[in-house]
Amino acid sequence: MSYGGGYETSYTSYGAGGGAGGGGFLNEGGSQQSPSGGRKFAEESLRPVTIKQIHDAQQQSTDEIRIDDSIVSQLTLVGQIRNISTQTTNITYKLDDGTGSIEVKLWVDSDNIDAANAKNAKLVENAYCRVWGKLKIFNNKKHIGAHIIRLVEDMNEISYHLLEATAVHLYFTRGPPGGGPAAPGGGTALNGAAAQQSYSAGEYGNADLSGYSGVARRVYKHLRETPQSNEGMHQHEIATNLNIEVGEVATAGDQLLAGGLIYTTVNDETWAVLDAD
Amino acid sequence: MDVPPTPRILAPHLQTFQHKLVRMVGKVVQLRGETAVIDAGGNVDVILNRDCHLALNHAVEIIGKVDGNLHIKVQAATDFGTDVDFDAYKAVVEATHRHKEIFYDD
Repeated sequence: MSYGGGYETSYTSYGAGGGAGGGGFLNEGGSQQSPSGGRKFAEESLRPVTIKQIHDAQQQSTDEIRIDDSIVSQLTLVGQIRNISTQTTNITYKLDDGTGSIEVKLWVDSDNIDAANAKNAKLVENAYCRVWGKLKIFNNKKHIGAHIIRLVEDMNEISYHLLEATAVHLYFTRGPPGGGPAAPGGGTALNGAAAQQSYSAGEYGNADLSGYSGVARRVYKHLRETPQSNEGMHQHEIATNLNIEVGEVATAGDQLLAGGLIYTTVNDETWAVLDAD
Repeated sequence: MDVPPTPRILAPHLQTFQHKLVRMVGKVVQLRGETAVIDAGGNVDVILNRDCHLALNHAVEIIGKVDGNLHIKVQAATDFGTDVDFDAYKAVVEATHRHKEIFYDD
């Protein structure tokens, strides 16, 4: 008897927990914790996108979706509401931003449906809104699980969003801005070439050498390309190899040290390249 | 996809987008009942439908098809008020065409 009672009690409380809209939470937790555990922070960064980018996104594995070869999960987008369908557990908005359309689901607490409706009353068909949410794939169909949807009141936000999405797209496909064309002084062409090279070939990692003197660039290149131990190279060795005065190499080294591109190892005159990864 | 993509354009792009569905933001400069003129980097004649409610001197976003005379036959219009930064919109149109991989196909 006590057996049955105990069993029944626990069953009831389990059922109640699930019934109160907890399902959404469970799903949320499941998709956030990848099996490997240690997710990188970058994967949780918030990315502005166009709807076309969402449809072009590549799915590598169950919970890894890439845009411009970088993992995305949290997204923000701006679009015009084309259709609204209110269900018991969620409101589905069909958004169109001129590049395509996608369904955005806002899960609502069934106990507070009136409050939710009041809050979203301004979100009517043909209104523009901004969405923050997570990209989901269900039955091979992409949709956005929205955290927040709010009305766009200043129409310039649409332009802002599209330009921001473009800037972020260019950042991921071409590397960070700066360097090349904007390099000051006489050595513009050379600086530009150096910056270009570091973008395309990745030969110098992501180092932007545009602000450095010619000697500093040569020293850095030499440190990069010469096989060496963990201790790096002594400035005399660099001077000999490059056939440059030790004093000039020391000055170049100071520049590179100040810029965080190299670091000192066994003593102040021995340097190694500082790699970010 | 039930909603087709609508590239954002300005008056100078009409020729290129003939017979295509486009999106355009411009300032309403003339209302003539069935038609109107909007300024979007140049004057554009638009042919209205019954659901359009354009206001003079307001910015408006129209979605419509460019016809053979380079007029736009409007399918939908959204009032954008009076505070639209047209330079920002021009920058968007330029970005759209220069980096079209994230905006539209072909």
